[in-house]
Formats: sequence, structure tokens, C-alpha cells
Amino acid sequence: MHHALWQSVLGEIELSVSHATFTTWFKNTELVDQNESGVVIAVPNIFAKKQFEIKFNDQIKGVLAKNGVTPKQITYTIITNGKKTRVSRETTPSSILADDLLPTSLHTGSTSTRNTQTAQVGGLNPRYTFDNFIVGSSNDLAYTASQAIAANPGVKYNPLYLYGGVGLGKTHLMQAIGNEIVKNQPDTRVVYISSETFVNEFLDHIRFKKKGFSDKYRNVDVLIVDDMQFIAGKEKTQEEFFHTFNHLHQNNKQIIISSDKPPKSIPTLTERLRSRFEMGMTIDVQMPDFETRCAILKAKASLSGVELGQETVEYLANNIKTNVRELEGALNQLLAYAEMRGISPDISTAEGLLGNVRHSRPQHITSKQIIERTAKHFQLQVDEVCGSKRDKHIVVPRQIAMYLLRSELHLSFPKIAGELGRKDHTTAIHSVEKIEKAIKLDFLIREQVASIREKLYA
Amino acid sequence: MELTVTQENLARALTAVGRVASTKTQLPILSNILLRTDKNRLLIAATNLEIATTQYIGAKVVKPGAITIPARLVSEFISNLPSGSVDLKVTNDNLHIKSGNYSSIINGVIADDFPELPTINESSSIRYSVKTEDFKQAVSQTIITASNDSTRPVLTGVYWHSHEGQLVLAATDGYRLSERQLVATTSEVSAIIPTQTLQEVMRTITDDGEEVDILFDETQVRFRINEAEIISRLIDGNFPDYRQLIPKKSDTSITIAKPEFVRIVKIAGLFARESGGSINLTADEDNKNLSIHSIASQLGENTSEATVVVKGSGQITLNSRYLTEALSVIEGDEIEFSFSGKISPCIIKSTDKNTNYYHIIMPLKS
Repeated sequence: MHHALWQSVLGEIELSVSHATFTTWFKNTELVDQNESGVVIAVPNIFAKKQFEIKFNDQIKGVLAKNGVTPKQITYTIITNGKKTRVSRETTPSSILADDLLPTSLHTGSTSTRNTQTAQVGGLNPRYTFDNFIVGSSNDLAYTASQAIAANPGVKYNPLYLYGGVGLGKTHLMQAIGNEIVKNQPDTRVVYISSETFVNEFLDHIRFKKKGFSDKYRNVDVLIVDDMQFIAGKEKTQEEFFHTFNHLHQNNKQIIISSDKPPKSIPTLTERLRSRFEMGMTIDVQMPDFETRCAILKAKASLSGVELGQETVEYLANNIKTNVRELEGALNQLLAYAEMRGISPDISTAEGLLGNVRHSRPQHITSKQIIERTAKHFQLQVDEVCGSKRDKHIVVPRQIAMYLLRSELHLSFPKIAGELGRKDHTTAIHSVEKIEKAIKLDFLIREQVASIREKLYA
Repeated sequence: MELTVTQENLARALTAVGRVASTKTQLPILSNILLRTDKNRLLIAATNLEIATTQYIGAKVVKPGAITIPARLVSEFISNLPSGSVDLKVTNDNLHIKSGNYSSIINGVIADDFPELPTINESSSIRYSVKTEDFKQAVSQTIITASNDSTRPVLTGVYWHSHEGQLVLAATDGYRLSERQLVATTSEVSAIIPTQTLQEVMRTITDDGEEVDILFDETQVRFRINEAEIISRLIDGNFPDYRQLIPKKSDTSITIAKPEFVRIVKIAGLFARESGGSINLTADEDNKNLSIHSIASQLGENTSEATVVVKGSGQITLNSRYLTEALSVIEGDEIEFSFSGKISPCIIKSTDKNTNYYHIIMPLKS
């Protein structure tokens, strides 16, 4: 109400004074009160107050009158940052300064440009907590490690390196660590950034010769860097990050890094950074299994106040396997759709609706395609894969092909054996079991299987 | 407007005021100086909307009036004139300046466009009169530890506040801290004055022996020195509770002659340039010895020693620049330097019992 009135007053005044005058005096003003005795206008400082009282008073009165307000009197009061100004007698909690005067923060010996207050919650989203993270066999190691770190930052597992595909909860976990630490020890300076931010700030630092960059991230207690893969190939930034990393690590500050690949698989990461990333704890966050997906769906649904039937949950969990974000998307779509139509979000609604979200196992994939894709991925001929050679570089792709035939098309073992020119179905059983096991243990195999699968459905 | 003033007065006032007129502003008129008659005086003022400074000089006023003119041009022109009387006359928006054989016309802007100068309500404000000498000393002792990190505005000023019956000045940048008691007070004051304002006041003070009249209200402060006046906004926010950081007792205490201390710290500092000024001080009670050690890996190293009175042996690593700066503002010939171990702050003050100043520096992590 007040705001709208003041906006129309400002709109009119802007037309009648010069742009410089308007931005100098009228910016940061607000109409804060309007009653019987008059109106109160907030101005940012003493200079503005004086200026309004003497120079702009009549003008404002006139414009207010045009807007149907004829106050008896206009008073101007100084307000900064939405608070009435008063250098208050009571002082802030000791922590800010005491923290500042910590000897460890002194190492540079020069004045630095850091902002403790904002850094304390730098980049953290309070929505991500451990409480609302759903743990399953695919991510329990990452979860346990994260909790250990949150309890004792900088002591165990430093650095923590989380990797895995998109939408599997890496960011959630890292943010949860940050939030937990801030909750337990509000004085801790936690900074969450994406490596892209780091790169951009570093470029700015070079381009505009801004000072204080090197200090900015060296004065934190917990540094969380998301999507580390984007730093790959940027030599100078890597070097800067390397120094920041060393500085923090030496001072026992916690570092948490996430990426879509393990350090080894980021091609252009310099050797010294790679070895450093690997010196702490490297954990991969995997695709949640069926049960975890169900648990996630139930938890999300109950957050929205909806109880989903077991059937519906299983239907969704079965159809969306690739990532949690998509899973949430499908659920939200279902809930919104049901609410708008006034129907219950049951399995038939889900079936009708998710035709366009379902990704898994479209009918058009054939066993031939799977074998071809697999062969292509390993740069082999289809003949070789289906042939009788038992060289290691052919055997593994052959087994992967069998595994995919089983997992994607649910073919019977004799059929699988037949597709690959084998007579004995036990070979197929052995191969599928072997790959299933290997996927759990060997990152390389898992990557390869995932990548072939991705290409199949692309 | 038509009047006559002396070149000396006008040049001095214009230089003093001109520093505040800024060219880096959205509002072009702020790079101008306001000239306005005030009974039989000439008011000369400038503002950057944080500080407003005003000087009054005596004038023979023929016709009252006002004008604003570009600060740099007019002050440079006037200060190059020979001494003598200067005639000022406004026609339209131009200022005609005539002095002996020199005359010029400067294009001005009408005074109505100049921001109103803030005023302070004297009756509702808290007032102090401080001897110029004390004022200068207190400000220069504290201002050096104020921060210039604009992300923490409250630390970019000097905190003037009442504490146990004294008006106390304190400033910190998070690495060091200084506190000085200025005068006795019965009123409650709590104000953070921007360092730029205090620097401006320091420059405005000319001769010793005058008094500085200080007036605080809720949001602004005014300094008046004779005919000059500086009004400034205060920094909004709460100054941290620094008192709890002051060590109550110390394990090691050294008493040393100031000139000697200054010398060995400076010498050690020469070898500490590449290590961020880091110098290592070791006090040895048994040998009554203070030794300062610094290493420059490329250049060499230094050990300087002094015979001192030591109570309790100990070691501490400090930034030599901070220590040198602290010593440069502490009065007296003898320094008491005390600390407790390598991680607690050290206190530096004069051994003079009447001392009302101390300086704290955080050690470097070695």
C-alpha cells in the first residue's frame, strides 16, 4: 500500500528532475508510515534528510496531493538497511572479532578482504540437510563419511571427494555437511562454491587486477567445491586452486569436492591436483537401487502431504532409473496433475501421464542393437564379439553384452547364449553374474555399462 | 554577490574545502565549491554526501549572494595569485575574480542546485571540547589500526564510546587493535566515525593550542575548529565487543627503551620482507635478553639482540610492520611489551603510569 503510493510518487518525480539528481537522492527512499498526523519518509542519510526537508518538500507534497494524499506534515527519518539507525550500546556476539583475531587467520599478515558474516553461510541452501537425505545401499558410504566429516571437520577424510552421475545427491550431501557444521558451530566459516565460480572469480582477479582473491578462499574453515570437472584444462586456475588447497589442507581445514568422474578420469587435471584429490577419501555416489527409489518417492510425497499407494510408487520407481532429479520431476508432475484434475494420484493416472517421462526399455531396442553398440563401444567387430575367440579384450565386452541383454531385454539365458553364438546357457549365466558383481566393485566396468546403456537409449 | 577577501584566507579555505569536493560522483555539482555570503563573512563549503566541510572567512560584503564553481580550477587559480585583496563578483552564473593585474571569469552553477549542508541540533547533542594536541594524538594512535576492508564497514572507522566514565577511542582491523582514553565523560556515547572524516579533521587542524569542538547526535558528528566545520555521517552498525580480547595477564613481560626497540625491530624487518614481515622475538629471563630473528631465504638472515628487563621467558612471532607502526604512535621513552605464548595477542604500551593508550597485535602463526 505504502509502497505502491511511493512508487507512483517516485515515478512522477523521476520525470521532473535530472537522472543524476534522482539516483543520488531518491534511491533508497521509502514511505514508511502514513496516518492522521502525516506521512513519514525514510531516507538513507543526513544529507538526504536535509535535502528533502529543504529542497524537495514542496515537490513531494504536490505529487502526494495528486495521488490523493494531503498530509498535514511530512517527516523524514534516517533509515539504513531497513533498520532505524542507532549505533547501539550493546555489542555483537564476541565471536566475530574473536574469530577474526584467531592466529591462524593471520598468516598472510596483510589486510584481506573477507567477509565473515556472509562467508559463514556462503552459498549454502538450508533446505539440504542430512534429515531429508534418503540413504540406500548406493550412497550409504558417502552418507556415513559425510556425517563423520560434519561431526569433526578437517580431522577425518580430508579431502572428501564425491563423484557420480547427475542428480544422485552429491550436492545434497555436500550442502548437508555445510549446514550441519554451521548448525553445530555457528562460528565456522563454510564456503560453498561451484568450480565455475572459482574460475570466473579467478579470471576477474586477473583481468581487473582485483585484490584479495588468494585470501578469499584461504580464510575459510570448510571449503566445498561442486562440479570440480569444470576446472579441467584451465591451467592457471588449477594452479591457484592447488595453492588454496595446500594452504587449507596444511591448516587442517576441511575440503569437500564433487565431480562427475573420479580424479583419474578427468583427462586434463594436472598430476599434482589429481594426487591431492585422491589422498583423502574418494567415494562414488551410485544410482539408487529400486528400494531406495521407492523410499525417496514416499518421502517426497509425504513432504507434499500426499500418501502414495505402493503400486504407484513401484510403478514410478520401476520406470525412472537414471536419476533422482528425474524421479522427483515425475512425482511432482503426477501430484500437480492429480491436484489440478481433482483425481487421486494412483497408478492409472501415473500410467496415463508418464507416457512422456518414461525412459526405460522402449520396445524398439533389439538384441542386435545391444550387441552392435557394445561392440562399437569397445571398437570390436560384431563378428568378434559373437565369435569364439577368448582374448581378454573380447571376453569382457562379450560378457557385458550378455549382461545388457539380460538386464535390458530380460531375455532368457539360453536365448542370450544363442544371440552370441554360444550353445551353452551356463556361459550366459556365468557372464551375467560376473558383470553384476564387477559393476559393484569396478568403477571402470560400471562406467562402460552406463555409457553403453546411455547410447542405447539416446 | 559582490565582496572582497584576502588572497591568503581564500586560498587556505579553498584548499581545505577542495579536498572533499569529489569528481567521482553521479551528481556533477558535487565537484563544485559553494561560496555564499553569511553576514560579513564568506562561507566556503563542499560535500561528497558523506562528509560536508565548511570554512568561514572574513569578507567585506557589498552585495549578498551565492554561487558554486568548479573546485580544482578556482583553488589552483587563487593559490597562484600574489597575496593581497581579491574581488569576487557574480553576474549571471559567472564568477568574476579580480586581484591586481589578474582577472578571470569562471563559469559556475547556481547555488540552488547545491545540496543543503546538514546541520546538527546543538541542544539535543552530546558535546565535547578536546585540546587539539590530545585530539591529534588520540586519533593518530587509533586510526592506524582501523581496517580498510569495505566489506566490514564497522571496522573502517574509529569507535568513539563512553566506558567507565571516559570517552574511549578504539579501532581494529581484526589483526591488531588500539584503544585510547580521551577525556572524562558523563554522557553515553557510541559512534563509529569513518576514517576519512577523521583524516579530514586532522588536516583541517592548523595550529596547536586550539580546541576541537565535537558534537554527536544519533546519526552524525560535527567537528568545529575555529572557523572550520566538518559534518559527517556515522557508520551504521555495532562495533565488536573487543574488550574480551584484551589479555588479563601475561606470562612474559619485557621492559625496553623505545629507541632501541624501534631499531632492532626495523633491522629485523629488513630481512622479513619476503615472509610477510614475520619476525621472531625471543625473551630470555636468565640472560636478561631479547633477541629478534628474521630469515629471508634468498637474502640471508638477521639476529638482533638487546639487553632488557624480562619477567618470564617466551617466544612470539609478529609482523614487523605492525610492530613498527605501533611503536611509532606510543608515547614515552620506555615500552612494556607483554605476551603469553605463541598464540595469544601481545600488548604494547608505555611504562608511563599515566598512560591511557595500549596497542594489541595478534601473533603470526609460526
